[in-house]
Amino acid sequence: MISRTPVAAAASLGLCALALGGAATATAADDDQAMVSVFHAVPGLDVDVYANGDELIPDFKPGTLTDPQPLPAGSYDLKVFKAGADPKGKPAIQKTVEVPAGANATVVAHLNADGAPQLDAYVNDTSDVAAGKARLTVRHVAAAPAVDVRAGGTPIFKDLVNPKEDTATVNAGTVSADVVLAGTDDVAIGPADLDLKEGTANIVYAWGSAEDKNLALKVQTLTGMHSTPSGVNAGATNDPDAWPAYAAGFGLLGLAGALTARRAVSRDRA
Amino acid sequence: MLLAVSGATVLALAPSRESLPPTTDFDARTAASPPAAPPVRAEDPDSPPTTTPSASPVSSSSAVPRRLDIERVGLRAAIEPRGVAPDGSADIPEDPETVGWYRFGPAPGEPSGSAVMVGHVDSRTGDLGAFAALFDVRAGDEVTVRRAAAPPVTYRVVARDRVDKDRLPASAFARTGRPVLTMITCAPPFDAERGGYQRNLVVTALPVTPTG
Repeated sequence: MISRTPVAAAASLGLCALALGGAATATAADDDQAMVSVFHAVPGLDVDVYANGDELIPDFKPGTLTDPQPLPAGSYDLKVFKAGADPKGKPAIQKTVEVPAGANATVVAHLNADGAPQLDAYVNDTSDVAAGKARLTVRHVAAAPAVDVRAGGTPIFKDLVNPKEDTATVNAGTVSADVVLAGTDDVAIGPADLDLKEGTANIVYAWGSAEDKNLALKVQTLTGMHSTPSGVNAGATNDPDAWPAYAAGFGLLGLAGALTARRAVSRDRA
Repeated sequence: MLLAVSGATVLALAPSRESLPPTTDFDARTAASPPAAPPVRAEDPDSPPTTTPSASPVSSSSAVPRRLDIERVGLRAAIEPRGVAPDGSADIPEDPETVGWYRFGPAPGEPSGSAVMVGHVDSRTGDLGAFAALFDVRAGDEVTVRRAAAPPVTYRVVARDRVDKDRLPASAFARTGRPVLTMITCAPPFDAERGGYQRNLVVTALPVTPTG
């Protein structure tokens, strides 16, 4: 039931997202907005988050994901302090991220593969998905080695390493997902049921620490990416055998004239 | 405006007895086609007993539709929730007597958007599908959608259009905007070389206000 988007495309998306922290695109007009969510994925540490010196989120608890909020696009000097600490002191994590105009982005405070806290900004793909489909993205933000992500026991993302992401377009519906150590059947997280609603983007964060045995999943869902079906093919069939049915049907309906001629054709074929 | 143009084109083919705005193709045909003998219908056989206690009742506005009836033209059809076929088109029940509700869109009774019903016009054996009766529908016809564990929703037909099937307006599947019921089937011409029926018949109905 899983149909993959090209792996190359998904991979490059991940790279683009990660490049946010470095590449400078601060030419966006000040009044251009971006939608920004923040996810606190550092276990065991309540924090205050500052952006450009102003407190953005006070007393932020691990496992909390804020709703998307509009922020002016541009460059943000983000500092994360232990809750209540003096913001003039040395932050627990610090990073400058660029938020492009028009983007939907999620800033994640998380552990790197070795267990040290870091910040990363990811751009969320909010482009439309085909009718009947949902987008599934997995971001590895846990202090853990490379993993595979499985749906219904079948790997859909392989060898994902912190802090990369991978994306696929899947049929809408509920899937049972788990995370295993790459190339093994050793379950690290899950299984968990993911309700992938049609026309949504579902971003699953694998977060926490393998060493501390607190690995967990967090799901961020963005809506409104639905599309219209390509058409309604409401005839019985598309092969010529349908011809008699067509003729009989519209003969009965009394659509005379042109249709009568077609019925004659169908008799010739029969 | 494309709608208007294509509707008008088709009008010329059908015997027209009254002039109507060119955006619809109602031809006011009297019910010339003998409706199939209506089966004796048990009331909402699929509905769970109303006595069932429910800790978290399903919102009445998103109840699953079960039956669609247009009495004046003898249209009575069971409804199945349907999604999208592998080719990306709306999935349609194989049984031409059954119509599909596009389950990813709004349900009948929801406060906004287009609840879409799709049905075959005919079957491979030559029988007419339930939605063949849409060709007899005219403005003002009452449409009743019976739902699971919720009161029926009543609509009144306001428009019937024929559009090239690759020009089905996106508004037919609108998720927002005023609540409408959109019923879609296939329409001639039939061109086997080009994938069968070339047009869609689209019947639009608006909810009848409960106080009416």
